[in-house]
Amino acid sequence: MNGGSFYPVSYSDTLIAFPSRRRAASASKGQPVLKFILRRIGASALVLLGASFLMFILTVNSGDPLQDLRESNDPNRDQLMAERTERMRLDDSDWERYWDWLSGVGGCFTGSCDLGVTINGIDVLNLTQQAASSTLRLITLSTLLAIVVGVALGIMTAIRQYSGFDYAVTFSAFLFFSLPVFWAATLLKEYAAIQYNNWIAVGQYAPWTIVIAALLAGFLLQAVLGGSARRRLVTGAATFGFVAVLLFAFNALDWWRNPMFGIAGVLVVSAAAGVLVTALVAGLRNRRALYAALTTVVVGVIAYWFTAPLLVNEPSWLLLIGLFVVSLVVSVAIGAAWGGYARKDSMLVTGITGVITSIMVVADVLMAHWNSFLGVKSRPISTIGSQTPNFNGEFWERVLDMGTQILLPTILLTLVSVATHSRYTRSSMLETLNQDYVRTARSKGLSEREVIVKHAFRNALIPITTIVAFDFAALIGGAIITEQVFGWKGMGALFQDGLRAVDPAPVMAFFLVTGIAAVLMNLLADIAYAALDPRIRR
Amino acid sequence: MTTLDISSSGPVSATGDAVLSFEDLTVTFRTEFGDVHAVKGIDLEVRPGEVVALVGESGSGKSVTSMTALGLLPRNARVSGTIRVGDKVVGGLDGRGLRNMRGNDVAMVFQEPMTALNPVLTIGDQLTEGLQLHGIAFGKQAMARAAELLAMVGIPEPERRLKQYPHELSGGQRQRVVIAMAIACDPKVIIADEPTTALDVTVQADILDLLRSLKDKLDTGILLITHNMGVVADMADRVAVMLKGDIVETGTADQVLNHPRHDYTKRLLAAVPHLGSGPGQFGDVAPVVATPEDLPALDLGKLVIEYHRLGKPTFRAVDDVSLSVAQGEIVGLVGESGSGKSTIAKCALGLIPAASGSVSILGNDLTKMRGKELKALRRRIGVVFQDPASSLNPRLPVGDVIAEPLVVHKEGDDKSRRRRVLELLDAVELPRSAYNRYPHELSGGQRQRVSIARALTLDPELLVADEPTSALDVSVQANVLKMFTALQERYKFACLFVSHDLAVIDLLAHRVVVLQNGRIVEQGPRDEVLHHPREEYTQRLIAAAPVPEPLEQRRRREARHALLTQLGEDVAELHIDEDYERPEPKRDEGGNASGLGGLGAGGL
Amino acid sequence: MSDIRNSNPGGEDYEPQVSVSSTDAVGLAAGGSAAPQPGEDKSYSQGQLVARRFFRHRGALTAMIVLGIVIVVAFTSIGVGPIPGWWPKDYTLQYDKIGDGAPTWEYPFGQDTGGKDYFALVMRGTQFSLIIAFSVGIISTLVGTLIGALAGFYRGWVESVLMRMTDVFIVIPLLAVAAVLGRMAGGDGILGLALVLGLVTWTSLARLVRGEVLSLRERDFVLAARAVGTGAWRIITRHVLPNAVGVIIVSATLSISTAILLETSLSFLGFGVQPPDTSLGTLISEYQAAFATRPWLFWWPGLMILTIALCVNFIGDGLRDAFDPRQNRSKD
Repeated sequence: MNGGSFYPVSYSDTLIAFPSRRRAASASKGQPVLKFILRRIGASALVLLGASFLMFILTVNSGDPLQDLRESNDPNRDQLMAERTERMRLDDSDWERYWDWLSGVGGCFTGSCDLGVTINGIDVLNLTQQAASSTLRLITLSTLLAIVVGVALGIMTAIRQYSGFDYAVTFSAFLFFSLPVFWAATLLKEYAAIQYNNWIAVGQYAPWTIVIAALLAGFLLQAVLGGSARRRLVTGAATFGFVAVLLFAFNALDWWRNPMFGIAGVLVVSAAAGVLVTALVAGLRNRRALYAALTTVVVGVIAYWFTAPLLVNEPSWLLLIGLFVVSLVVSVAIGAAWGGYARKDSMLVTGITGVITSIMVVADVLMAHWNSFLGVKSRPISTIGSQTPNFNGEFWERVLDMGTQILLPTILLTLVSVATHSRYTRSSMLETLNQDYVRTARSKGLSEREVIVKHAFRNALIPITTIVAFDFAALIGGAIITEQVFGWKGMGALFQDGLRAVDPAPVMAFFLVTGIAAVLMNLLADIAYAALDPRIRR
Repeated sequence: MTTLDISSSGPVSATGDAVLSFEDLTVTFRTEFGDVHAVKGIDLEVRPGEVVALVGESGSGKSVTSMTALGLLPRNARVSGTIRVGDKVVGGLDGRGLRNMRGNDVAMVFQEPMTALNPVLTIGDQLTEGLQLHGIAFGKQAMARAAELLAMVGIPEPERRLKQYPHELSGGQRQRVVIAMAIACDPKVIIADEPTTALDVTVQADILDLLRSLKDKLDTGILLITHNMGVVADMADRVAVMLKGDIVETGTADQVLNHPRHDYTKRLLAAVPHLGSGPGQFGDVAPVVATPEDLPALDLGKLVIEYHRLGKPTFRAVDDVSLSVAQGEIVGLVGESGSGKSTIAKCALGLIPAASGSVSILGNDLTKMRGKELKALRRRIGVVFQDPASSLNPRLPVGDVIAEPLVVHKEGDDKSRRRRVLELLDAVELPRSAYNRYPHELSGGQRQRVSIARALTLDPELLVADEPTSALDVSVQANVLKMFTALQERYKFACLFVSHDLAVIDLLAHRVVVLQNGRIVEQGPRDEVLHHPREEYTQRLIAAAPVPEPLEQRRRREARHALLTQLGEDVAELHIDEDYERPEPKRDEGGNASGLGGLGAGGL
Repeated sequence: MSDIRNSNPGGEDYEPQVSVSSTDAVGLAAGGSAAPQPGEDKSYSQGQLVARRFFRHRGALTAMIVLGIVIVVAFTSIGVGPIPGWWPKDYTLQYDKIGDGAPTWEYPFGQDTGGKDYFALVMRGTQFSLIIAFSVGIISTLVGTLIGALAGFYRGWVESVLMRMTDVFIVIPLLAVAAVLGRMAGGDGILGLALVLGLVTWTSLARLVRGEVLSLRERDFVLAARAVGTGAWRIITRHVLPNAVGVIIVSATLSISTAILLETSLSFLGFGVQPPDTSLGTLISEYQAAFATRPWLFWWPGLMILTIALCVNFIGDGLRDAFDPRQNRSKD
C-alpha cells in the first residue's frame, strides 16, 4: 500500500527508489494474478479498517463539538445542545459511535448505504456524492494531463541529460514541488484570471508582447530540439518568425475574441499530429503507418463535415461519446487495414491520431462558440466555484463555462504532478537506458528512437505506473487546499467543515472516498504492472 | 612498451582481407579523477573464419577495445586510431552509417545472457527486429527466419520459443538466443565478450562448440574476449595478450600458450590452475593428520534444506546430503549453479535452517542450539565468501573488520586486538598500513585477503569457503590460493571449500564431493573422483572443463564428443540445411516494424 | 588522428572501473610498467568522496549558501527568546504608517494594515516555520529509520505488523491526518505541532529504509557478521544502518521540505500554528485578501516558503547525486 499522501512525500519516494518494484516482483512472482489480486484486496480492506478506526477516534477527540453552542447566547441553548448530543450520540463511547458508523457503511454491501448525518442533521451520503463528483472531475483531468506532459518531459530530459533543457526542466520541477499551493493559487487567480479577463475585453496583443512571446517560443524550441549551433539558430529563428507572424495575424483578425479554426485548420493540425505520432511510434520509414495515419485524418475530417450540424446544435453527452467511440473504432480499423505485417504499430498510430483528430474537431466547435460565450459571460475565467451560478446558455456555452471554471485548479494540480512525473520518468528512463539489453539493442543497429521507444521506455513504464497510481490518491489529499482557494464545494470542503465542527460523519466520508481511491489505484497499478511485465504475468 | 609479435603473418598492417582491424587504437575516458587511458595505441586484426582471442585481466581494456568496433562507448570516451569493419572505417561513419554497420557487418555476443535480452519483449520480437531493420525479411517471413535461426543454434521447438519471454528460458538457451541474434544478419565478424563466463562449465562447452562450428560453417571472424585460458586454448587460432591498455604479445594459440615470450604472459599462464595436475601447483597441501577416532570438524547427516515460497510449492534445495570433514582436512564441494552447494555452506554456518537432518560441528549439533551456546560454537567456525566487493562492510576500516569477531566475542582489549590484527595482516601478506584503509581502497584480491584474515581471527577449527577465488583474476587467484594452502598448513583448520572450478579443487582438496540438483552424485578422495570418476555426471563435468593447453584441450574435446556420442547425445553445432541461403538485404517493403506495437498486446 | 563520434546520446555516462589503488599489492599486475592511473596516489574515504561530489553540484552548493543566509538572518535579526537581535524594530509593536505601508528603506518588507513592521513579522514566521520543519524532519527520520530497520531486518511477523501499521498511516491523506492532529495539538504550541507532524510523516522513509535494509541484510558482509555470532542490534547499528545512510540523509532532507509545506498549508487552513504564534502560512492566510491592495503582504511570506523549500530540495538532490555513484557526472 502506498498513496494517500500529500504530494511532496510521494516525491521523496520518486527521488530515491522505485517504491514497489521489488515488492510486486517478489510477492507475486509466478502466482496466478487473480489470486494475488484477491490477496491484495483482502490486505487493503484490513488496512482501510484500521485506518478508519484511527481516523474516527482522532477526529472525535480533536475538539468539542458543542463549543459553538456553549458560547452562544441563544435562549434555547440547552435544548439545542441536548438535541445535538442526541443526534451525534455524544454520550456514547467512541467505540460505539465508531461501530455505528461502520455498520452504516457496511450497509453499502447490502444496498442500504448510511454514512450518517452531519452536525446539522444533513444526510452525508448525498453530500458525498455531489462533492466526490466535482472533486473527481478535477483530479481525473489533472492526472491525465500530468501523465501525458510529465512522462513526455521526463523522456526528453533523460535523452538530453545535462543539457540546458534538462537543467531548465529540472529547475522548474523543483520550483513546482517547492511551491506552496495556496500561495501559487492566489497568484494564478490574479494573473491568469483577473488580468486575462481584463485583457480579453479588448483581445489585442501589444507589439512588444508579441516580440517577447515569439522570442521565448523560439528559444524554448531550439533548446528542446537541440543539435548543432547552426541548427539551433535556424530552429529558433524559424520559430520566432512563425510565432510573430501568427500573433500579428491573430491581432488583425481579432482572433482572440473571434477564434476560428475551420475544417482546414482541423485538417492541417491533425495531419501534422499524425505525422508526429507516426515518427514517434513507428518511424517515418514505415510508410504504411504514415499513410494509415493520414487516411485516418482525412476520414475524420470528412466525417466532421457530415456530422457538423449534429455537433453544433445542442448535442447530448451520449451522442458525443458515441461519436467518439465510433471514430476510435474506425481509426483502429484503418490502421489494421493498412498495417501489413506491422499491423500493431499501425493500429496504435491510427488510434492515437484518431483521438487527436477528435479533440481537434471538438476544439473547432468550441472555438466557434467562444464569441457567443463571451457575450453571455464577459469575464470568462472564473476564480471561484465549479460552475457559474444561474448560467444560461447553449450546450457548448455550458461546456465552455465548465471548462473556464475548471481551468485554474487544473493548472495548479497538474503543475505539481507534472513535476513529480517528469522527475520520476527521467530517473526511470536513465536507469533503463543503462541496462544491458539497451546496449544489445544498439548493437543490433536500432536507431535511437527505436531503442528509446521500444526497449527503454517499455521497461521504464513499469515503475512509472506505480507512481502515477499513487499520485492520483495523493492528489485528492492535495485537492483540499486547491478546493479551498478556488471555492469548490468538493471533498476538501466536506472534510474541512467537518473537522472544524468536530463532526465525524463528513470527515469519515472524505476518508472513505480517498481511502477507496487509494486502494483502487493501487490495484490498478498492480494490474498494470502485471500487464507490462511478463515476469509477473507468467 | 613494445609488442612482441611472433605470429608468422608478418606485420599487422600488411593485410587487406581482415574483417576487423584496429590500427593504433587509443581510448581515453574523462572521469571525475581526470583522464583514464583505457587503451593505448594497439593494433589487432581478425580475418574471416578465424578466432582471435583477446586475453587480459579485468581493467586491461579488452572490452573497451571491442566496443569501439561498434562505436558504442559512452560519451565521455575519446577514441583515436583507425578501426575497420570489412571495408568500412568506423570513425568515418555518421549515425546512420554506424547503425547500418551494427548487426549487419559486426555483431556482438555479450557476457550476461540474463540481462542482454529485453525482459518485456518476446524472443521472436527481439530476433525479428534486426532482420526487419536490415531489410532481410519482414512479417511472417521474418518470423520463419527467426525460427530457422533458433533451430540453427540448437534450440528445440523454435516456433514455441519465439512466443516466449527471456525469463522462461535457461541461461544456456538465452545465450544461444543471443548468438542467434548475432548471426541473424550474417555479419562478417562477431565480437564475443566473455560469452561463457556466466555459464556453467558443461553449458560453456556447448556454447564454445556452437561458436566453433559457426566460424567453420559461415566463415565468420570471431573476436573472442576472455580471461579464461582454457577457453582460449579451446577456441583461439591467434591470441593477443592485453595488459593495462597495451597488447604485450600476439601469436598463434600454440605460440602464446606453449611458448610465451613476454614476462606477463608467462606469469599469467603459470597462475592458471591446471585440472589433472593435482596438488602442489601453488604450494603443498598438508596431509590430514586426524585419526578416525577424532570427532569430525563438520558432519552433515541426511541434511535436507527447503525454501518456502509464497504461493508456490516448497523447493527442496538440498536433499539427503551426508558428508563429513575431518579435522585438518579440505573437502571440495563441487557442482554447477543450482546444485545446492552454497546452500549447504550457509547451513553449515547456521545462517539458514535445516528442514531435517543434522549439522554437527565437532560433535555439537548446530541445529539444536540457541543463544549463548550457539554463539560459543560460532567462534569455532570461520567463513570466506565469494564476492570481495560485498563481503566487507564498506563503512569499516580493515583493522575494524578483522577485529570485529574479537569484539563480538569480547576477547582481549584494544591492544591485544590490534596485535592480533597486525599478526593476521602479516599472515595474509598485506602491508600493515592496510590497517586504516577502507575496503573500497583495496583491490579485489586484497579484499579477499582481508576476508580470509577475518575468518581466521578466532583461530577456527572449521573454515567454510564459498567460492573464495571465483571473482578474482587468475593471477590474483593463484596468489590467494598459495597463501591459503600456506595458512592451512600453519593453522591446520578443516575446510569445506565450495567451488565450481574443478581445477582449483584439484590442487587443493583432500576429498571431493560432487553435487547435482541438491543430491550427492559422487564423493571420495580427490584422486579417485577427479581422475577416475565413476559416475556419468562427474565424467561429463570433468570432460567439459577446458585446460589451458591447445593440443591437450583438442584431445579432451574430442574425448568429450566421444563421451557425448556414447551417451547418445548430440554435440552442439550450427545446423545448416543444404539449401541454406545467405541472407541478402531486400527492398524495404513496409518500413521497419519496431515500435510501441506490443505495448498493449500483452494483457493478462 | 580521427575522433570517433560515439552515437550514444541517451547513454548515461558511466565510468570505467577505476579503483583508487588498482593493483594487488603482491599481485602480478604490479609487475607491469604502465603509466600510473590518475588518483592512484590519492585516496579518498567514503565521506570525502561524498563531500567532493556534493560540492561539485552547483545547484546544491548555492542552495546551501542561500538556506544558510536565510537561517542566520531569521534567527539573528529579531533574536530568539530573550536574546535580542540586530533589527531595531519589534514584531509586536505598531508603528506609524508611512503611506499605505509599502516597502521603504525603513520598512524593507513594508508594514501591515496595523502598521507593524512586516520584516520582523516575516522573520518571526520564518523562525517558527524553520523550527517546525527541522523538528519534524528529525522526528520523522528517527521514527522512520527505526521502524524501517526493524521491519527489514527481522522480517516475518515483525515486518508484517510494522508495514501494515505504515500502510494504515499511508492510506489516510497526509494533509488530512495532519489537519486532525494539528487541530488537537494546536493549543500546545509549535513543538507540540512539530511532534504530531513528525509522527505522521515518517511513512515513506520507513518504506525506503526497509527496502534498503532488505537488500543489505542479504549482503555477504552481514552474513559474515551473523556467522561470527554478532547480535542483531550490533548488526543493525554497525553494519546495516551505516550503509543505508545515503538513503536516510537524502530522505531526511526531503522530509524537511515536506514538513515546511505541510506546516504552512495547515496553518493556512487554520489547523496548524495558532495565534499568538505566527508562521509563514498564517501570514499568507491572514493577508491573502490584501493581494490586490497591498501585494507585499502576500509576496514576502510566500517567497520565503518557496526559497526554503527550493533550497532544501536542491540540497537533497545534491546529496542524492553525491551518495549515488551511478549518477556521477563526468563533464564538469
